[in-house]
Amino acid sequence: MIVPRTAAEEALGLSLPHRRMEDWKWTDLRRMVQAPYVRMPVTAKQADVDRLVRSSPFAAVKAQRIVFVNGELDASRSSLASSPSQALAVADDDVLLQINRKLEARGATLRLEGNASLPVEIVHVVTDDVPRGVATHHRIEVADGASATLIETYVGEGDYLSSAVVEVALGEGARLDRIKAERESVRATHLAFVKVSLAKGAILRDFTLSSGAALNRQDGSYIFEGKRADARISGAYLLGGKQHADTKLVVDHTVPSCTSRELFKVAMDGQSRGIFQGKAIVRPGAQKTDGKQSSHALLLSEEAEFDAKPELEIYADDVVCGHGATSGDLNHDHLFYLRSRGIPEKEAKSLLIAAFVGEAFDGIEHEGVREALTAYAEGWLARR
Amino acid sequence: MTMLEINNLHVKLADEDREILKGLTLTVKPGEVHAIMGPNGSGKSTLSYVLSGREGYEVTEGSVTYKGQDLLALEPDQRAAAGIFLAFQYPIEIPGVATMQFLKVALNAQRKARGEKEMTAPEFMRHVKERAAKLNVSQEMLKRPVNVGFSGGEKKRAEILQMAVLEPSLCVLDETDSGLDIDALRVVAEGVNALRSPERSMVVITHYQRLLDYIVPDYVHVLSDGRIVKSGGKDLALELEEKGYAEYTGKAA
Repeated sequence: MIVPRTAAEEALGLSLPHRRMEDWKWTDLRRMVQAPYVRMPVTAKQADVDRLVRSSPFAAVKAQRIVFVNGELDASRSSLASSPSQALAVADDDVLLQINRKLEARGATLRLEGNASLPVEIVHVVTDDVPRGVATHHRIEVADGASATLIETYVGEGDYLSSAVVEVALGEGARLDRIKAERESVRATHLAFVKVSLAKGAILRDFTLSSGAALNRQDGSYIFEGKRADARISGAYLLGGKQHADTKLVVDHTVPSCTSRELFKVAMDGQSRGIFQGKAIVRPGAQKTDGKQSSHALLLSEEAEFDAKPELEIYADDVVCGHGATSGDLNHDHLFYLRSRGIPEKEAKSLLIAAFVGEAFDGIEHEGVREALTAYAEGWLARR
Repeated sequence: MTMLEINNLHVKLADEDREILKGLTLTVKPGEVHAIMGPNGSGKSTLSYVLSGREGYEVTEGSVTYKGQDLLALEPDQRAAAGIFLAFQYPIEIPGVATMQFLKVALNAQRKARGEKEMTAPEFMRHVKERAAKLNVSQEMLKRPVNVGFSGGEKKRAEILQMAVLEPSLCVLDETDSGLDIDALRVVAEGVNALRSPERSMVVITHYQRLLDYIVPDYVHVLSDGRIVKSGGKDLALELEEKGYAEYTGKAA
């Protein structure tokens, strides 16, 4: 059967995935992305850009910054020089990469060396204008033995599709703390793809906040290429209204003796929908793999819905792998205990939700970043 | 004014017909310490939960008046702000909420509800430190999440610390001695005794007489099958220790 292309598909010049495809069963892009988003250069008002840059949860964190406004590098606002990134090295067959390419993504190439004392923040700003597609792709390399903190922030206003691709390569013994905050416009669609490779002994601490966009889909691919590497991948969703967030991760153990942990904490209000699809692959010979994943959802309303799909594909026999998923509402005993000490119900709930979500921030080394995320969560709770 | 006046209180579980308290009457005046003793299942914990406002219980008859106001009309947090404190038999673990933060939020919420000025951070630190030292509660414990990973003794000490920090008018201690060895019991009892004052009343709920060697009550009541069946002075506790509850339950102990 030939299905006629939607306006969005015509504009992008490709077919969008739909719910009859296994990876997309909860996120039917063909149905959910309706507007014909195309690349369209616009001129931003500087006051709008200033306001949006300041709205980054990390605005108060001292960092070296690279600022992209409506998908273009804004050198005047950037304190760190970067070279434009070249064509993607990753295979093209993934639809999220195809979209990124169709929208003619621009981006930065960075090589991080030594022990950077300041975090690097790449700020992505989209201003309110005609509905359009905005795309970036970045390539980050952390040199052997280097350590760095990388922050990616996405903020915006209006109706747009944001395609965000990041490729990260960690050298031998390198350490990267990567923090991504998706705080797109409440009318935006955020489609992200991150690919991270870890060489021998590399350490990755990866955290993603999903909280802004109407529709958020992010695919992550983490590949262990050298022994004794260690990746902790965590995330938090703070969703309300009719927001929809779907994360699909693949953690690929191709070599022995690597450790992976995935922890996602999801707080959902209103009629929001959260999905976590986590897959761990242990290739033949990848013995002594230690891989665990868990996702926990806190449903703050009757109409919120969370779906988890953990998958393990194991082709080695000497491994420790596991997964767990829970969803439920706040613990009534906890709530009563706090209230019995004089904390009013709303405040007690906020305290418990913040504690629940905060577990996902725990692995973040940078205190200022952790505090900024805590403050963001508190603000979200106060607004709900 | 009377601190607490419970009159003909009947309570059942919200989702069951079975009555647990069947006409309990008790009057507590300021400064008094009342012990409530009784066998398992007599309704001791239910009484503590009804006083603190836990959901799941339904008052079908009778009244509870606290400092002249209808206690049952208040939410749990309003009761706490009005000065009621329940020391839990099984203190609840709250992952992710540091004890110090919890104490500060609770104290300032109560002060705000009473129209008092909130404590500043340095004032609060001093307020807690003085009290923590007396109860052997370390700074390290205060940094840990509320009750998480605490031993049985640590949990009970932390409860009494909360009580000392919040300075309630009416303390309800539910089986505070359970799970404590003799040294821990002494520390906890000293903490409780230090809080005795002419303005503060206590209701000490316990199965065993042992606790009452350390926290000496003014009155002892025997609770059996949802009613107070006998009241007396502190000697009544010793008598119960010797003879058991058989006389009151109609069954051999």
